[in-house]
Amino acid sequence: MVTASTLLGLAVDGLAFGVFLALLGVGITLVFGLGEVLNLAIGTFAVLAVLVATVVVQQGMGLVVAAVVALVAVAAFGLFVDRTLLSLVYRSEGEDRILLGIFTTLGLTVLLDGILINYFPSRYTLPLDVGTLSVAGATLTGSSLVIVAVGTVVLAAVFAFLRGTFLGKATRTVFQDERGARLVGVNPRRIRTLIFVLSAAVAGLGGLVFAAGSAVAVSNGFEFTTFALIISIVGGVRSLVGAIGAGVLLGLVNQFANFFVGSYIATIILFVTAIVVLLARPEAIQ
Amino acid sequence: MSSRASLGTEVRNVAIVAVLFAVAPLVVLGSSYYESVLAHLLLIALFAVALNIVFGHTDQLFLFVGGLAGVGAYTTALLADALSISAWVTLPVAALVCGLIGMLVSYVSAKRNFTVVLISILTLNLQLVFSEIFVGARDITGGSTGFPYEYFSLGVVAEAVGIETKLVLYYIVLVLLVATLGVYLRLVHSKYGIAFDAIREDEVAAESIGIDVVRYKTIAGFVAALIIGVVGAFFARESGYVLPGGFTFLAVDVIVLIVLVVGGLRTTLGPVVGAVIVVGIEEFLSSAQSLQTWRTAIFGALLIVLFLYFRRGVVRSARDLVADARGGSTGGNGGSDVDGGQ
Repeated sequence: MVTASTLLGLAVDGLAFGVFLALLGVGITLVFGLGEVLNLAIGTFAVLAVLVATVVVQQGMGLVVAAVVALVAVAAFGLFVDRTLLSLVYRSEGEDRILLGIFTTLGLTVLLDGILINYFPSRYTLPLDVGTLSVAGATLTGSSLVIVAVGTVVLAAVFAFLRGTFLGKATRTVFQDERGARLVGVNPRRIRTLIFVLSAAVAGLGGLVFAAGSAVAVSNGFEFTTFALIISIVGGVRSLVGAIGAGVLLGLVNQFANFFVGSYIATIILFVTAIVVLLARPEAIQ
Repeated sequence: MSSRASLGTEVRNVAIVAVLFAVAPLVVLGSSYYESVLAHLLLIALFAVALNIVFGHTDQLFLFVGGLAGVGAYTTALLADALSISAWVTLPVAALVCGLIGMLVSYVSAKRNFTVVLISILTLNLQLVFSEIFVGARDITGGSTGFPYEYFSLGVVAEAVGIETKLVLYYIVLVLLVATLGVYLRLVHSKYGIAFDAIREDEVAAESIGIDVVRYKTIAGFVAALIIGVVGAFFARESGYVLPGGFTFLAVDVIVLIVLVVGGLRTTLGPVVGAVIVVGIEEFLSSAQSLQTWRTAIFGALLIVLFLYFRRGVVRSARDLVADARGGSTGGNGGSDVDGGQ
C-alpha cells in the first residue's frame, strides 16, 4: 500500500522535475514565439551549463559561484550563436526561415555534441547536499525543494521582466505583431537577440537544476530538446504560461507514472501526450 | 519551371549508375570490408530516395526515417520468428505496416493543414516513441542488446551461385535501388510529378485547379514509408544484428538528410551522389584514428553549412556547370541557393 507520505514525496520530486521541464519549455517557447526559430539546440545549451559548472566546481569553487559562471557562459554562447548562425537564418522569411532554423540548430546540436563528447566523456552531476526534510511524516528530498524554490523565483522573474519593464513590453509587442512593433520604433532583431540570450540562460538553469538530482551526459542534450518540444507543444507553442503549466503537469505525471508503471511507460506517456495534443488542436500551435 | 531532363535521359543515367555499381565489387577485389561499405552506401541512398519523394516533392518533412526503418526491420524478423516462415514472406507485410503508418501521418497532416514544422515535430515524436518501444519492449525486441539478424536465407543463394553472402546482399540492395529509382522516375514523370510540383508551389492554387492535395500527399507518404520499411530490413541484415541504437534519429535521419541535401533535393541521382560523398567522408574519417572522434562534430558542421549555403545540391550545381561550359543560357538560376533552386 502506498502511503500518503510517499505520495507527498513523489509530488515534490515531480514538481522539481516539472520545474526542469518548464524551464526548457519556456526557453524554446520564447525563441519560437518571437522569431519562428525552433531552437533544436536548446537541450545542448542545458548540458553546456552543467559541464561549465562541473569544471568550475572542480577548480574548488562553490556551487553557487559555479552556477553563476555557467549561466553567464551559456548566455555568452547564446549571444555568439545569435550573432552568427541566427543572423544567417533570419535573412530568409516564412517557411524557409522555419526550415532553415530547424536544420541549422539541429546541426548545431550535432556539432556541439561531437565536440563536447571528446572532452566530457562521462556523466556529471552537481550534488546539492542539503539532506532531507521531514514534513508530517513524509521525507522530502532537500534538493527537490531547493529546485522548486529556485525555479519559482526565476520563472517569476522572467514574467516580471516581460510584464513590468519597458524591454519586456517591447518583447511582447514583437510577439504579437512584428510590423506593429516596428511602427512604434521597436527593433525586432535586437529584441530577438535579447530573448535568445535569455532563453539560453533559462535552459542553462534547467540543466543545472536537472544535474542537482541526476547525472548528465553529453548525449542527454537531444533528449532534453525533445522534452522542451513536448512541453512547448502541450503548452501551446506561443504561450509561456502554457509552457510552465505543461511542464509542471507533465513533471508530476512522469514522476507518478515512473513510480507506478515504470520509466519505460512513463517516457512513452510523455511523447504520446505531445502527439495527442498535436492531433487534437493543431490550430493552437501554428 | 521543370528543370528535369527528359525521361529517356534520366533512365539512361540511372542505367549507367546501375552498371557502375554492378561492377564496383570487382574494383574492390573481394575485400569484404569494402563490400560492406558499398552495401551501406546503397542503403543510405535508398533512404534518401524515399525522403526525396516525401520531403523533396511534397514538403512533408518526415523525421522518423530511422524509426520507420526500425519498424520494418523488427516486424519482418519478429513475424518470421513467430510464424516460423521465411522473412521474404513477412517483409511485404512489414513494408505495408510502415506504408500505412506513413499514409496515416500524411493523411492526418494534410487533412488538418499541418505546416512543415508540425509534421516534423509530429514525426520526431513518433520516432522517439518507436525508439522507446524497441528498447523497452524487451520481451519481444530483445531490448537494448538486440538480436542477431540472419534472415532472408542469403547463404543458400550464395552457395548456389558460388559467391559470398555479402555480395548476394549487395546485389539484392542494388536491384532494390534501381527498382526504387524506376518507381521514382515513373512517379515524377507522370501526372503525380506535375501535381507534386503544383502543390509545392502553392497548395491553395493547386487545390483550386482540381488537384486533390490530401490524396497526393497521402500517396507520397505511403510510398516513401513503404520503401523505408523494406530498406530497414536490409539495413539490419547488412549489419547482421539488430539494435535499437541503429535506428535512432541521430544515427539515421541526420545522415539521410545530409545525403539528400548534398546530392540535391528533387533530383533523381542526388541521393546516390550524396551517399557516395557522405560515405566517402565517413571512410576518410575512419581511416585516421585522430579524426574518428570528430566524426559527429564534422557531420554537424556539414549540416549547418549545407543548409545555409548549398541547398541546391551537387547534382544541380554540376548540371549548371556543364550547361555553362557548353555556353548554354540556362545559368539563369545560378546563385539561387537561398530558395533551394526552386
